Amino acid sequence: MSATPGEANPVRAFVAQLWGSVFRHGLPTNDKVAARTALTNFFLHIHPVRVKKSAVRVSYTLCLGGLSFFLFILLTITGLFLMFYYIPSVDSAYQNVKDLQFVAVFGDIIRNMHRWAAHAMVITVWLHMARVFYQGAYKPPREFNWVIGTFLLLITLLLSFSGYLLPWDQLAIWAITVGTNMAKYAPIVGPYTRYLLLGGDQVAQGALIRFYVLHVIALPLIGFLLMVVHFWRVRKDGFTGGL
Amino acid sequence: MALNPYESPRGRMRARAETTRRQFLMIMGGLAAAGASLVGSVKVLGFMFPQASSNAPALFKTSFTFDQLTGGVANGKAVTPVNVLSETDKRVTVVLDDAGIYAVYLVCTHLGCTPNYVTDVTTGSGVSPTVAKGRGARAPNQQLPNGWACPCHGSRYFIDSTNFYGPAPRPMDWVNIEVTPDGFFAVDRAALVATRGPGNNQAPQWRLLISTQKSNGKTLGV
Repeated sequence: MSATPGEANPVRAFVAQLWGSVFRHGLPTNDKVAARTALTNFFLHIHPVRVKKSAVRVSYTLCLGGLSFFLFILLTITGLFLMFYYIPSVDSAYQNVKDLQFVAVFGDIIRNMHRWAAHAMVITVWLHMARVFYQGAYKPPREFNWVIGTFLLLITLLLSFSGYLLPWDQLAIWAITVGTNMAKYAPIVGPYTRYLLLGGDQVAQGALIRFYVLHVIALPLIGFLLMVVHFWRVRKDGFTGGL
Repeated sequence: MALNPYESPRGRMRARAETTRRQFLMIMGGLAAAGASLVGSVKVLGFMFPQASSNAPALFKTSFTFDQLTGGVANGKAVTPVNVLSETDKRVTVVLDDAGIYAVYLVCTHLGCTPNYVTDVTTGSGVSPTVAKGRGARAPNQQLPNGWACPCHGSRYFIDSTNFYGPAPRPMDWVNIEVTPDGFFAVDRAALVATRGPGNNQAPQWRLLISTQKSNGKTLGV
């Protein structure tokens, strides 16, 4: 008499149940199951169930938006590691960064990954925008997503700017002095904007903590929310051609 | 005829054109809520503008004394004829020349960096060193082509803080300086004694006199 599979091998049954509790389906064997798998998985459901082969052709567009997002993830993870050592105080910030470089194991690599990924992200976001523009991908029905994209560009630049102050070296202090003085030239709101950013009239402790909060919480959070909308619209509006 | 006056083609048209009491109250209530939110938002934004700032006080005492700058006083004159001492962290420099003492607030008028003291301020600027030597009240044998050079974007100033090269739009400001009872200087960075607009090359006459240790009161532009 043949037993049911569960009775025959309880371990196998447990593994099957475990798999089934996490993934509602087995590995996709045909298009229908593949579609269901994508729909019932939190991480996969953001993507279209079906994508044209031509749409994932990474040719001259190089998937720059995807690269930007990859760099954002990389920056979030490396930034998290940096936060274990960094204290946003004028007395310790510079020394913390030096500790990261010379005391923490792999700290120098983490810091440099963060730095270079930040530079690269500014570049890829710019190129992504240029690609969308030259391909005419901002035209209806994607005009709203273009606007979201410009805000994401702004967030990227503000993240780059706010992160620049945090090492608290001479380059950082004077770059932010210059940058916030530029903001001061704006009519009417200029001086208020500068005070808002610096929390005072000089680049001092008030400025460091404000830039830190903007850099590690406020701007990434806004950026993340905009990205969710951005990707959602990409999924709904479809691809123009290459990624 | 329908009991409801709006239940006719004409009535329905009027109903679309006119505002009912309910709609009117909704609009007024909505406007009131929007206005209250706007005013509230402005006040809430005040959170980011604290009532007291943690800025360093504008008034401070120098680490060097009157005698260190002047070399002492003989016959009502400074023993050291020309001298420049700076408090770089506090962004103030104190200059001694033949007419007396003055303090310059070292904030570049371009974008706010701290210019450095240099003794060859005209090098590479196309301006003759003779011009720089002639600035400031100094005896011919004491004249130097010294001044201020901003490290950020290359603005340059003569010793009397007049800009002559680079993107700086106007001269740096002079601030009030006094001698404290214990012989140091008290510099008040909030009290301007000479401020000049774009293109104003006039040399300020304000000085802290060596003989009396009081200012001559000749302010400029304040």
